Amino acid sequence: MKRMTKWLAVLTAAILLLAVGCTAQPAQPAEPTEAPAVEQPTEAPAVEQPTEAPAEQPTEEPAPDASVSIIDMMGHEVTLEKPAERIVALTASDCEIVFALGAGDLLVGRGEWCDYPAEVLAIPSVESGGNTNIEQILALNPDVVVMSSMAQTEEQVKQLNDAGVAVVVNEAKDIAGVYTSIELLGKLLGKEEQAAAIIDGMKAQFAEIEANKLDGEQTIYFEVSPLQWGLWTAGGGTFMNEVAEMVGLKNCFADLEGWAQISEEQVLERNPDYIVTITMYYGQGPTPEEEIMSRPGWENVTAVQNAAILNLPNNELSRPIPRLADGAKILYDFVMEKAEALQPAA
Amino acid sequence: MNRIGEHFHGWIYAIFALLTLCVFFACVCLGSVGIPLRDTARVILDAIRGVPSDGALQLARSVIIPVRLPRVLCVALVGASLALAGAAMQGLLKNPLADGSTLGVSSGASLGAVMAIAFGITFPSLPFAGSMVMAILFALLSLLIILGLAYRLDCSLSTNTIILIGVIFSMFASSVMSIVITFASDHLKSITFWTMGSLQGASYHNAAVLAATLLICATVLLLHANELNAFAVGEENARQIGVNVRRVRLIVLITVSCLIGVCVSIGGTIGFVGLVTPHMVRMIVGPNHKRLLPASLFSGAVFLMLADLVARTLLNPRELPIGVVTSIIGAIVFVFIYYRSRRR
Repeated sequence: MKRMTKWLAVLTAAILLLAVGCTAQPAQPAEPTEAPAVEQPTEAPAVEQPTEAPAEQPTEEPAPDASVSIIDMMGHEVTLEKPAERIVALTASDCEIVFALGAGDLLVGRGEWCDYPAEVLAIPSVESGGNTNIEQILALNPDVVVMSSMAQTEEQVKQLNDAGVAVVVNEAKDIAGVYTSIELLGKLLGKEEQAAAIIDGMKAQFAEIEANKLDGEQTIYFEVSPLQWGLWTAGGGTFMNEVAEMVGLKNCFADLEGWAQISEEQVLERNPDYIVTITMYYGQGPTPEEEIMSRPGWENVTAVQNAAILNLPNNELSRPIPRLADGAKILYDFVMEKAEALQPAA
Repeated sequence: MNRIGEHFHGWIYAIFALLTLCVFFACVCLGSVGIPLRDTARVILDAIRGVPSDGALQLARSVIIPVRLPRVLCVALVGASLALAGAAMQGLLKNPLADGSTLGVSSGASLGAVMAIAFGITFPSLPFAGSMVMAILFALLSLLIILGLAYRLDCSLSTNTIILIGVIFSMFASSVMSIVITFASDHLKSITFWTMGSLQGASYHNAAVLAATLLICATVLLLHANELNAFAVGEENARQIGVNVRRVRLIVLITVSCLIGVCVSIGGTIGFVGLVTPHMVRMIVGPNHKRLLPASLFSGAVFLMLADLVARTLLNPRELPIGVVTSIIGAIVFVFIYYRSRRR
């Protein structure tokens, strides 16, 4: 008996450790600051962290002429002798920006979740996020690696730098951040003009929407993760929230900071006029819109009554990318169309 | 610690049932959206009579009836099932640390359910039956593997052997699950999130399945309470007093697998309920399984309902995953109980 008790003590310790492990896992999605990748299952491939992160120092002395020097989003200065010619981008948003800059041919590697535009799929894929594999990246012999701050360790950065690869951290949290990251990559790749053009284009699109925006009376709820996995939404301080404001809608969870897991009851109480879901549809069962419409208890939600539910499964609104402007436009058109359709009845 | 004698049998049930009911109503009345007690009662009565509620009670009705009530019901039933399964396993294996999560049965059940989703194993007309049946089968299979390995190592099935094998099996099952998920096509990556468990969106349908399982399994286990008492003293002892050891063990293991499999397929893996609740209950009603099993059942329901209440309301309007709450409360309570019992 005595022996058993002794063992018990040891085992208790072991189990507690185990328990801590278990706790840590479920806790992860609760991180509010984390990007949809984590909280948002069906969309997981989409967003790796909209990144920002430490960057790394120049490994080489700046050469007089074509040298490029930038300050990345973690405030590190990165200097290259000449604009990067071989680049590895680990996040889906960075890949998109590189393509938008017309520099897709400079990409020699991409993170596994990058999926837009379709051409990106032809580029060799490397593991990213928590599984970032330095050897895989070095094998591609890049000049620069663009990554997010999440899941990036000092050791990884040092290993890359020691191998002569510069690391640029890029992680936009808001629309201003998106402009900065486009500028940053434009500079890095010697595509500053294109970068400026993209930013101007985005600003023009946003300005057009804002010029005719709604009065801010109506509310919108962004569903980042469906009920089945626990509801997650985009709160204040996210680019989705900014887009809502631009369109002239009030995000009904603006009081929460960042991405948050929320209570279903709260959605019913806050009674949004519009719902945007970014759940992907895989061709079987109810579509995400139908699924929301069929939820018990949701039949009194205004958005459900008016069928004012918009599905944006292609990350137009959930990634810090140039396409955000398109996403905002789609949302704006949808809201306008719904409002018009409802008007005559009233 | 005073233990209540055998003759209190009758009203122990009554007290526990009453306590469970009180907690149940408290959990239905409290939640993320504040609804006055009177309105709560009104909409429940309206719903029972099948009449629509007044306009002003519209929100209360759509929060309480389709959202909060089924969730609290499911939470209570899952808590009861897990605690009952834990108590039965602890008796059967004569092992105070046995529980679905420590033995790796929950991980096995998760693996089964994930494989059902990944390989599209479904039964026509019953969309969720596939993962449920696979979860039950894998829970049973894991139990058999764990106990089989433990028997080979040491015939007396000592505490440490079983638990260590359980921990190892748990890790093994998790890695196989990661492999299955890695090879599964893109949209199945979402399975990862399923394994963390969520009772958000629980429906009356889920509650009915849980209730049916619990009813059958609890009856079976209660009918074997005497045998479990014998096992708790020792398997040899059980054999000597005429218990059909093989048969009873198999029955209890199948029952426990059903309980855990159904719970995991509906709510995901929720740790510590099955481990901690029977311990707390044993301090109150003593080790006799005739009292321990029903008391664990009610207390498990109470424990999980309270944990869920914390998960739902603590960070309002945010919500915490329920597993986080049970693990934190469970670990603290466990250490407390364990140290107390050692000091004595």
